[in-house]
Amino acid sequence: MLKTLVGAFALSMAASFAMANDFPKQDLQGVIQWGAGGSTDLVMRSVAPHVEKELGRSIVMTNKTGGVGVIATQFVSTQPADGYTLLMSAENPQLYKVMGLSNLDYSNFYPVNVLARGVPIIVANKDAPFNTFKELVDYVQKNPGKVRMGSTGPGGLPSVVGAMLSSKLDFKVTAVPFDGDGPALTAMQGGAVEFMPAVLGAAVEHVKAGRIKVLAIFDKQASPVLPDARPITADYPQFESLLPWGPFFGVFVKSETPDDVKAKLVAAFKKGANNEAFQKLLSDRGYVSMNMSGDEANSFLKKWQSTTSWIVYDAGMGKKSPEEFGIPKP
Amino acid sequence: MEALTYLFSSWIQPDLLFLTALGAFAGIYIGAIPGLSVTMAVSILISFTFSWEVNPALALMNGIFMGGVYGGSRTAILLNIPGAPAAIATSLDGYPMAKKGEAGQAIGLSTVMSFIGGLVGIVVLALAAPAISEFAIKFQPRDYMLIAVMGILLVGALSGESLAKGVFAGAFGILLGTVGLDPMTAEQRFTFGSVSLMNGISSIALMIGMFGVSEALLQLHHLNAQAVKQKIDRIVPLWGDIKRHLSLTLQSSGIGVIIGALPGTGGDIAALMAYDHAKRITKNPDVPFGEGAKEGLIAPESANNAAVGGAYIPMLTLGIPGDAVTAVIIGALFIHGLNPGPLLLLEKPDMFWFTVGNLVLADIFMLIFGLTGIRIFTKIIECPKAVLFPLILLLSVVGAYSINNSVADVWWMLGFGVFGYFMKLYGYQVAPVILGIILSRLMDDNWRRAIISERESLPDFVLGILTSPLSATLLGIIVFVLFTQTRWWKRRFGAAPTSLDAVKSN
Repeated sequence: MLKTLVGAFALSMAASFAMANDFPKQDLQGVIQWGAGGSTDLVMRSVAPHVEKELGRSIVMTNKTGGVGVIATQFVSTQPADGYTLLMSAENPQLYKVMGLSNLDYSNFYPVNVLARGVPIIVANKDAPFNTFKELVDYVQKNPGKVRMGSTGPGGLPSVVGAMLSSKLDFKVTAVPFDGDGPALTAMQGGAVEFMPAVLGAAVEHVKAGRIKVLAIFDKQASPVLPDARPITADYPQFESLLPWGPFFGVFVKSETPDDVKAKLVAAFKKGANNEAFQKLLSDRGYVSMNMSGDEANSFLKKWQSTTSWIVYDAGMGKKSPEEFGIPKP
Repeated sequence: MEALTYLFSSWIQPDLLFLTALGAFAGIYIGAIPGLSVTMAVSILISFTFSWEVNPALALMNGIFMGGVYGGSRTAILLNIPGAPAAIATSLDGYPMAKKGEAGQAIGLSTVMSFIGGLVGIVVLALAAPAISEFAIKFQPRDYMLIAVMGILLVGALSGESLAKGVFAGAFGILLGTVGLDPMTAEQRFTFGSVSLMNGISSIALMIGMFGVSEALLQLHHLNAQAVKQKIDRIVPLWGDIKRHLSLTLQSSGIGVIIGALPGTGGDIAALMAYDHAKRITKNPDVPFGEGAKEGLIAPESANNAAVGGAYIPMLTLGIPGDAVTAVIIGALFIHGLNPGPLLLLEKPDMFWFTVGNLVLADIFMLIFGLTGIRIFTKIIECPKAVLFPLILLLSVVGAYSINNSVADVWWMLGFGVFGYFMKLYGYQVAPVILGIILSRLMDDNWRRAIISERESLPDFVLGILTSPLSATLLGIIVFVLFTQTRWWKRRFGAAPTSLDAVKSN
């Protein structure tokens, strides 16, 4: 046991002397913003092994959930900018400013890799009294405020899709927040909520097993993974102007991280994400691979932020105007 | 027939056999060190075993899981530092046993009970998994809230000399649990603008400090006292002893399986509930609870290992993790090209039977490794206090640091250590504080989910509880437990006052 102790102690000492040029000198820490079993978690845990092979070190991943991911984002921002702490996160931080959640967003971080984006679908408890999105809308209009929608807190994917729905339709529901889409999907199977917008990848296995039913794909075209699911624009063409829209998953470090460390991480993630097994896994689960970093990723992030911030703000969900932060109108 | 082949495949293939044994052995020591968790170990293994076949990877993880949950009891008994939150209840009677020179016996007993508990969990997994997972996902936010309330009632069992002091300590723990960003709205609570408070207060750091450091400080009062000579003549418990407590073991294991199978709760809450249950049903323990009662060791140890089988139930049948470790294992299956979900059981039934058989094997290895080497370990507490206490402090610092690789956690741990020392000096128990911080979020989140679901209407909320058979049953249990603590009930049905709690506080 003493040996273990000495080992652990030596490891912690090594942390403080790590230099950039021979990065990585020790294992990395990956802080996952959302709960275990959710979509962010699945993407990160499946890309990590390929990246570890490139880096020659382990990425020890922990789920640090809560506050729409603010807790993890805030945590990583308080760690040293040495590249040893990775933020493994989804789209949420781009809305923190408008939602009044935090002063941080991805402009405080450097995009090591924006791995993939997901397609939202709208799913329901299998016993819910509606079978298509049109029926859901009718049902909600007959019972305003009574239908419970699974959510992941303000600024989470379900709340944004919810804002888009209510911006174009008369759509009043009660949003019940959970610790991520994994726990929310579980709660929906138990009947705690009637329906929810979720990422296709997180829900697809449950849909295939017939445990939940899919009402619509929140996109302009059907997905090869669930060919029977109807695109929402088929019944409600007014959504066309907002689409395609979807969550994304990326790996970030603090923007003050030394350039050579950034470069090493970018190269490792680029190669890791290109791995055939990971690519197959993404497409099987209905994700669209992106694998971009640096400036290319930054312009994608900025565009996403401007579109979504204004939708959220115009829907009355945002606490502060995007204008305050200089986020341009799309 | 085919199922049988998969069931025993890890028993006959030498490499799988070896990996399971290795996992169980490593798990015991990882679990024993506070701050190093099974979740952490399994996450590291995912990347390590990436290029392996899926079965060897699973064998190693199953071994670590089983051994790690048990391992937490080691340091709980020997040093009063629970290796993991699931071993908190174990320290309550295990450490007093060690102080009396019965450490070997305590470890032996907890090992055998962990083994039986683990086995019960696996049997339930094998025989009733689909039914239990359907039951487990039926739990609504209000039911989780009621479970948290049931947990809060444990304060009565953990208060020691005064119920009022116990309630104070429990409330303090709940308050500590609210520090940080609000998990629903990300509003800041009690952070006073400090970034290091935004992440909340680590319950593990609190646990290490309040149990380990405070006890070390307290022992400094008796620095010159001779260390108690440990009796090591009988380590494996007598068959008669096991048989006498079999009913309690099975009941505690039952609690463990159910609580473990619920996606929102795990072994820590299961062990505490089982401890409370033992205290309630044991009318005349040979030794009072809190002073080294065997029942106080049997219940939590069988429950937390039964929760392992429980956690696999929703994972293997529905692809829903039963706790943090199974969540990581789901990730592992995923990157090994399997699709963990409700179809896994149909598409790959071999996976299910392999896991069941392998868990039994891991349980057996845990028993073997648990029962060997006890003699050397009990020597630890016989060593001079001038050596032992610095060692405890070192272990506490390393443990607190390794939770999140954060120095802030070390300060919290030391601060709570000193605070816990004064609490103990003034007759406050520290266990309710930890109970409070563990249950704080469970109660907070689920109460709010429940009331939001009812559109903030209290009458609808109450109606919901009364009309749902599940919620009504949970409420019934809570009312019954409260009722049995009234003076009227005790006068009427109570035997001689056996436990230290409510009676003394009257």
